[in-house]
Amino acid sequence: MSGWVVVFRKELTDHARDGRSLRTALVGSLLGPAFCAALFLLMASWANDVKPPRVLVVGGDAAPSLVSFLRRAGADVQPAPADYERLVREGKEPAALVVGPDFAGDFSRGVPAHVRLLNDATNQKQMKSVLKLRRMLERYGQEIGALRLVARGVDPRLAAAVAVDDVDLASSQKRAAQILSMIPLFLMLAAFLGGMYAAIDAMAGERERGSLEPLLLTPARLPELVVGKWLAVVTLGLASLLITAAGFYFALPHLRLEDLGVRASFDLDQAASILLAYLPLLCFSAALQLCLSTFARSFKEAQSFVQILVLAPTLPGMFLMLSPVLPAPWLFVVPFFGQEMLATQIIRGDPASWTSLCLAVGGAVALTVLGLALTARLLRDERIVFGR
Amino acid sequence: MIEARNLVRRFGDVVAVDGVSFTAADGAITGLLGPNGAGKTTTLRMLGTLVRPDAGEVLIDGHPAAADPAAAKARLGVLPEAKGLYPRLTAREHLEYFGRLEGLVGPRLSERVDALLTRLDLLGIADRRAAGFSQGERMKVCVARALVHDPPNVMLDEPTNGLDVMTIRAMRALLAELRAEGRCVIFSSHVMQEVSALCDRIVIVARGRVVAEGSPDEIRRRTGQTSLEEAFVQLIGSAQGLAE
Repeated sequence: MSGWVVVFRKELTDHARDGRSLRTALVGSLLGPAFCAALFLLMASWANDVKPPRVLVVGGDAAPSLVSFLRRAGADVQPAPADYERLVREGKEPAALVVGPDFAGDFSRGVPAHVRLLNDATNQKQMKSVLKLRRMLERYGQEIGALRLVARGVDPRLAAAVAVDDVDLASSQKRAAQILSMIPLFLMLAAFLGGMYAAIDAMAGERERGSLEPLLLTPARLPELVVGKWLAVVTLGLASLLITAAGFYFALPHLRLEDLGVRASFDLDQAASILLAYLPLLCFSAALQLCLSTFARSFKEAQSFVQILVLAPTLPGMFLMLSPVLPAPWLFVVPFFGQEMLATQIIRGDPASWTSLCLAVGGAVALTVLGLALTARLLRDERIVFGR
Repeated sequence: MIEARNLVRRFGDVVAVDGVSFTAADGAITGLLGPNGAGKTTTLRMLGTLVRPDAGEVLIDGHPAAADPAAAKARLGVLPEAKGLYPRLTAREHLEYFGRLEGLVGPRLSERVDALLTRLDLLGIADRRAAGFSQGERMKVCVARALVHDPPNVMLDEPTNGLDVMTIRAMRALLAELRAEGRCVIFSSHVMQEVSALCDRIVIVARGRVVAEGSPDEIRRRTGQTSLEEAFVQLIGSAQGLAE
């Protein structure tokens, strides 16, 4: 049996028995899908808000037809208590409709009859209700106006020179798309965190517990030891990545994305494409983690090195979010960045070009080899093996 | 047979090993005796090829170790200063892992593992995880791990450190057996009694140099002292770092 197979099998057995870190990895893997699902459900509950708009009416007796129109249109009309203004200002009530004392007189004379709609424009939560109310009031005005025109023998259509067809591009759609763009980030984090503990334990842990020296005293070649350990880290990262991808795959269909008007899917083809795009990255991040873990003076130091490294997957996402222009093609070669762009393309349903795919894969593979070679090189250094 | 020829090793400005030469013969136990910090561990690490000498060479059974470290390692069984185990692996799995890394497979591997577990009285804990082992049990597993490939040369760095009397006796018996089997055994210690009780030859190291070499009787005779301890004190100039 080759040395790397022996090491790989031992590392997997060893880590499979570490219940605590396995559970942590599992929970960590499902955190992303759970987080996204929760956000979607929350947004869907906002979007599906069919509560009738509520309004407090002051002096409704002067405008009975208006009040009954509002009721018929579906508004929840309530007589206003004395402190209605305070209630609206404090956001307890969405709006109050004040019918002026001249309303009835103006109305019958055919001049604009004034009502005041008290609302708080800074209160995002209530704006939807206020908007609906305002539309109802406008519709009432239009209907009455049309009736008046008809009574004078005029076609009311003459009064409507322009017809506006409203196309609702609600912001909830954008937010949903933003959440979808988090999926690549969560997948990347899963790939990164899944093997993190194993990588720290395999090198810094090995030295700290005093088993590195005996291991190096065997005739097994250093590259084989490194590759065996690296494969174990990759395997654990891959397991974590698969669990996260499966979580998204099963969670997304239950989230009724259509309700939010989002065009996004995460079918098997896409899942497979993303996993393929991420595999080279997984290889690279495992090599990088191993290398840092070997370089670190202690287990603790390795932990802090690798944890700082966790930031790496989040940086490209931030850049992509802030950058106003499409990134240059050569940037695909940058690990994390390239994969994230690929995954975003795949999730949006855009075909990824072969050039960008090759660049992303090539960059990660080259850096993986470099990282592994450097790790083996470090293990030849007495100061690394026996501590500094 | 293990030969050290004029080994030199510096760490920065400090000369840890300064021209150490000695020969450890087959079928004999050679003790490397010296106070703490004398250069014993560094010398053993150079013999085990993990530390490169700045000058001099190491011959394992006549072959230069630097030329082919893997071949040298295969002929060496080393209990190094670091004696760590994997807490989640059993005693048997430790031996199997290192046996496989030494190239053992199939029935030969399981025979060797069983033989060592029996010989070191480890059968009772063979399938228990190392996390709960006592100091003595840990040391025995480490020694068994070093012997798994049946090496003709055995080097042990402080093999009795921190052990109880019963385990020390077992360890001494094992060393005597290894000698009887014709192996070349080197062990280092700063415990005088260990060395005088077991060794055929003693190499006394102080401040990175060999200050005396020979059988216990020869060393006593040369220094004109009746006890090995007095001889040792006279040779290294002080009793510092020496344990009873």
